[in-house]
Amino acid sequence: MSSAGTKLGALDAPKAKAKLRALLVEDNQLDAQLVLRALRQDFEVSALVVQDEAAFKLALHTHNPEIVLADYNLPNWKGMEALNVLKREGMDVPLILVSGALGDVTAVECIKRGATDYVLKDTLARLPESIRRALHERRERLLRRQAEEDLARKVDELARSNADLEQFAYVASHDLQEPLRMVTAYTQLLGERYRGKLDENADKFIGYASEGALRMQVLIQDLLAFSRVGRNGSGLAKVDCNAVIEEVRQTLTSSMQESGATLTHGDLPTLWGDRTQLTQLFQNLIGNAIKFRGKDAPVVSVQAEKSGQHWQFAVSDNGIGIAAEHMENIFVVFQRLHARTEYPGNGIGLAICKRIIERQGGKIWVESQPERGSTFKFTLPLGDSGEPAAQARDGEKHESSEPALGEKVGAPA
Amino acid sequence: MSVGIGIHPELLIVDDNPADIVLAREALSGSKYSVQISSVEDGEEALAFLNHREQYLNTMRPGLVLLDLNLPKKDGKAVLAAMKTDPELRCIPVIVFSTSKLGRDIARSYELGANCYVSKPGNLIDFFSAIKLIEEFWFGLVIAPPRGE
Repeated sequence: MSSAGTKLGALDAPKAKAKLRALLVEDNQLDAQLVLRALRQDFEVSALVVQDEAAFKLALHTHNPEIVLADYNLPNWKGMEALNVLKREGMDVPLILVSGALGDVTAVECIKRGATDYVLKDTLARLPESIRRALHERRERLLRRQAEEDLARKVDELARSNADLEQFAYVASHDLQEPLRMVTAYTQLLGERYRGKLDENADKFIGYASEGALRMQVLIQDLLAFSRVGRNGSGLAKVDCNAVIEEVRQTLTSSMQESGATLTHGDLPTLWGDRTQLTQLFQNLIGNAIKFRGKDAPVVSVQAEKSGQHWQFAVSDNGIGIAAEHMENIFVVFQRLHARTEYPGNGIGLAICKRIIERQGGKIWVESQPERGSTFKFTLPLGDSGEPAAQARDGEKHESSEPALGEKVGAPA
Repeated sequence: MSVGIGIHPELLIVDDNPADIVLAREALSGSKYSVQISSVEDGEEALAFLNHREQYLNTMRPGLVLLDLNLPKKDGKAVLAAMKTDPELRCIPVIVFSTSKLGRDIARSYELGANCYVSKPGNLIDFFSAIKLIEEFWFGLVIAPPRGE
């Protein structure tokens, strides 16, 4: 029971003191004692005193200090150099300068370079408070950094699991095509080769089987088209939407003529986008407007106006409209509101539209009254910013990963 | 002076899916050009066939090759590359016949010297009509390169 620490601790400690591992950078024994005494007012201190860089470095690792108290001027070293050592070692340990005389300018300079505080040797009484503040700030800093790291990790995990899922959907639907092709072809061959040679039921059953297989082929192709929106992208470029509409008009010629549809558009903007996908977007929307027509010939109009940081487009028709309760789920993959015999299709078109728009940073929704027509509205970012950014990179990455599917893995012998 | 004649009606099908080979045989059964069909199921086998190696010592060179891309051992592109850089084989027309519609596969096939690229249809009727069109064009219309003796 003769160690100084214990004796001092017993002397002035009615209440339990916080423990503190301090590293002093000090050449003057007397000054070191004074500093230690100031610390012991408030802390149960275990301290090491060093005078040069080599000893300092060693002590950082053996002593693992919570705080560094450094004199400004040493015979063989400068206290501020300790900061550089801490930085190099990647250690977040606050450093407080404890100095005899430090001009204001020097003091400010030291703080700028990373010292947490400075305390003059004739006001050592404020040292404990300064240390407490430094430790508190460090704790906060750690917590914040940890929270940021957690968040970054979660975002990363989410992005990865999303990408995995997409890859899975793509590979699954891609690889399903091959065996399904066999099922389709051979049920058809059965049907053709043995028509009328088995009994009546057999022909019917074979017919159902091959119809089912054909339908499944279309579904899988749709699914692939849907997942390709997230993978391919032809890259972003300036796209004149007026030209896109004219292109769509060409593509839809036959269904427009057949239904007597008219398609008009206002003065549409030129914007940054993926031309192929924008064309598909308008084709799906206009195609739907024609397909889901009422008794009258379809009248379809495409308009656009600036709204804040976006262009807001509206594709409106005079078709059968959509009841309020369905306005959300029409954008979900394979959601259909009508019997296949009434309106053909697989319910993929609007899901693709939504995906295209969301990839380009916009939103899509519908306003409609049953029997009166629908207006599909969507936003796309203004085109004059000139920064295609994220999606373009996405596209490249995905495109380069796709062709790997062409190679056969573990081909059957 | 030699007179041009049609392509020798011997077709080599390179496909690892026996079901596709059977379908092609079905499509060509009763063919008016009496097309003889041989088939192999991987790329190495295909090159052995074409170069009269191993069990193919006495086989005739085919007049036309129908080549799938996704093959075990040596894939279709490797077979194509080997054929089109071999002075003995480069004149045999090669039709790439694959389910892939990837631009990259199509472009690469032509770069390597494919004579044409046909997408393998998913249903029977289209499959049959593709094979019939191939037959009609290559064995009915096209004139073969003169065979050197």
